[in-house]
Amino acid sequence: MLKKIALEKFGHLVSAIMEKGPLYAPVKGGKAVDFQEIRNPADVTLDFYNTAMSPKFVFFPQSEDMIRYSLGKEATEAEPVSLNAKPSVILGVRPCDAKSFEIMDRHFLGAGVIDPYWNDKREKTTVIGYAFDPSTAADPADFYNTLGISASDTAGSDIFMIRTDKQLLFKGITEKGDRLLKDLAVLEQGSKTEEKMFDDMAKKSSELKTRFMEIKDDAIARKFVQVFDNKEFWEKATAACISCGACTFVCPTCYCFDISDETLFRDGVRKRFWDACMFTDFTLEASGHNPRPRIFQRYRQKVCHKYSYHVDKYGCISCVGCGRCTRSCPVNIDIYSIIESASKL
Amino acid sequence: MDFEPRILGIACNWCTYTGADLAGTTRLKYPQNVRTVRVMCSSRINPSFIIRAFQLGADGVLVGGCHPGDCHYGTGNLYARRKLAVTKKILEFAGMEAKRFRVEWISASEGKKYAEVVEEFTHDMKALGPQTKFKIKKD
Amino acid sequence: MTAMKKIEENLKKEAKRLLEGGEVSVVLAYGRGYDENHPVPFAARKAEDADSLVFNEYCTFNLARYLPKYPPKTKIAVAVKAADSRAVVQLIQEEKVRREDLVILGIPVTGMKDQKTGEVIDNKTTCNMANPVIHDILLGDEVHGFQGGSPYDVLAELEAMSEDARWDFWKKEFEKCIRCFACRKACPMCYCDPCFMDASRPRWADKSPTTDGHLMYHLTRFYHLAGRCIDCGECSRACPVDIPLYLFHKKLAKECEAMFNQAAGMKIEDKPAMVNYGNQDSDEMLK
Repeated sequence: MLKKIALEKFGHLVSAIMEKGPLYAPVKGGKAVDFQEIRNPADVTLDFYNTAMSPKFVFFPQSEDMIRYSLGKEATEAEPVSLNAKPSVILGVRPCDAKSFEIMDRHFLGAGVIDPYWNDKREKTTVIGYAFDPSTAADPADFYNTLGISASDTAGSDIFMIRTDKQLLFKGITEKGDRLLKDLAVLEQGSKTEEKMFDDMAKKSSELKTRFMEIKDDAIARKFVQVFDNKEFWEKATAACISCGACTFVCPTCYCFDISDETLFRDGVRKRFWDACMFTDFTLEASGHNPRPRIFQRYRQKVCHKYSYHVDKYGCISCVGCGRCTRSCPVNIDIYSIIESASKL
Repeated sequence: MDFEPRILGIACNWCTYTGADLAGTTRLKYPQNVRTVRVMCSSRINPSFIIRAFQLGADGVLVGGCHPGDCHYGTGNLYARRKLAVTKKILEFAGMEAKRFRVEWISASEGKKYAEVVEEFTHDMKALGPQTKFKIKKD
Repeated sequence: MTAMKKIEENLKKEAKRLLEGGEVSVVLAYGRGYDENHPVPFAARKAEDADSLVFNEYCTFNLARYLPKYPPKTKIAVAVKAADSRAVVQLIQEEKVRREDLVILGIPVTGMKDQKTGEVIDNKTTCNMANPVIHDILLGDEVHGFQGGSPYDVLAELEAMSEDARWDFWKKEFEKCIRCFACRKACPMCYCDPCFMDASRPRWADKSPTTDGHLMYHLTRFYHLAGRCIDCGECSRACPVDIPLYLFHKKLAKECEAMFNQAAGMKIEDKPAMVNYGNQDSDEMLK
């Protein structure tokens, strides 16, 4: 199914989607553009390269309540938070981020235990992907081509959106996507002309080149095991790292979380929230011993997890080359360069 | 119902706390709104206590110590003066009402002053109303 | 040759000389990152490493941040711009690094640019001084007659606001916080291990990104930096969600300078303001 709408009518489309349920879309705030739940249709922008934070928070919020409790004199009352996500839409997801949802599904759904919090939101959300603009060069930090993703890749999207000078074209990719497209009366049916336009634009976008090196999942996984003990390499590669954790929080495929009971006087919540393997006390044990006290150990773990252990455990590299970690790094550490150097060792 | 402010008082053991005691033994009347915590010296006060107090719902924080020059430990309150001054600037710049945090030097013999300060501060807090900016809201 | 190119040449020359002669075991400077506009902090250890050193308008990192990591008696050469040199002075005052262990390579420069926006960095977000306050070797010509403006001009708007308007401003800014702690790690003065946020007894703030936790973290950190922040702007540049932390740090720097008659990181013989008291301190500061 192919649908279209004139660019000037975009606000109507946003309002129409908002009538059905929560909409998450890019909003410009201060310097950067980030996904937010939309309150005012005029807030949505399609003029951006990519958001500073990834859209993973839609399915995996930074902080999520799990159990609410009240400490009593005799007993503690506790009540699990009920899962009741409303049918939602996330609009404006770049191909690398759409692909990241599929990778995250492997941890949250495909590892033997279904994470009900992820699942609840995931099944009720329709993803509208958004092709990169072929007239804008790829950011030098990006390398999604290396991970087999093109600038107009539809993998992970339920609907794929392409922008022309005057219109927005929407192609249904999955059944869920087709259903939403059918429901949005404000969209017009696309003709054969538009279908061709879509394919042409998609082809044009896919010609956008990012940094690229040839890597095969199994080969790179083995390589990192091989170079694990090369302390000199790792110390040099990570010498500038300040161990802040910004890279982990902006990454679309990082999923570590911590669980804590947070109580105020008598009432509290057991919640889960993002953790980062880059934090100094990530592996700190109750005894006081820390298996990874040094920065190079933590950084090495992060790279090896994404490019080696994850391949063995889940069958794919846990990275989509979106470049956010490099862009958000206060000291410009570039994971692509590290992988390139390691592969040549 | 009339608003009764909840005020955290932090008093140094040697001067202000003793002064407060004197106010009691001389049967001076003053409002009951101050909950007092005793510290050995005003320099023990960690500015984070003040932030925490507001977060936990205090409507006002009143700190009392020895007069500069009369600290039981010699120089404690001289350091405290700088620390508390910076704390006040932080609260003000963050947008907390400046009057909600007050520092007074009250000696062991100034029972009357203690009563007066508490009276005045409580009156000010009543006028300002409940503190809502820093107070943790349970959702 | 432009001023920056000259500085780069001198940097390479001095680094090579110091490493070859064994005067230092490491030179902390800048290297090329994934492209020219994104350099990285680089520690040269061998004379050949000096060839990889760079200097351009995007070399904004405050390298003083790495100094406390090295064991005492390690001889270190560190490349510092004006604010960075103040950080070095402050660290010496706080005894985190010894003056005799350092060879300070001063970089007098104006026109540094923000890597994210390409805009010139000025007194709105940093101290905007041109010349280092301390050096052993100058890598470029001292800058004369640079009128950078007061680093506190940018505070006028917030200072003029009512209490309530200021609270609304900061509430909105702090809500953006994702507790990544990039600000803390980027700051040369945040060398505490463990940091108060890492403590579980007492638990100052919960780990999850609650608004009250943001307030406790940021306000306490502003307090810990009072009289110590040298206005380099690293914290604000590091922030992935663009919280204008520099505004609060500048406000406290301004107040501390006025109250205690001392600016952070200017003279190594100074005693840090918050572990000191002055005979001229008056109760006026408590009003």
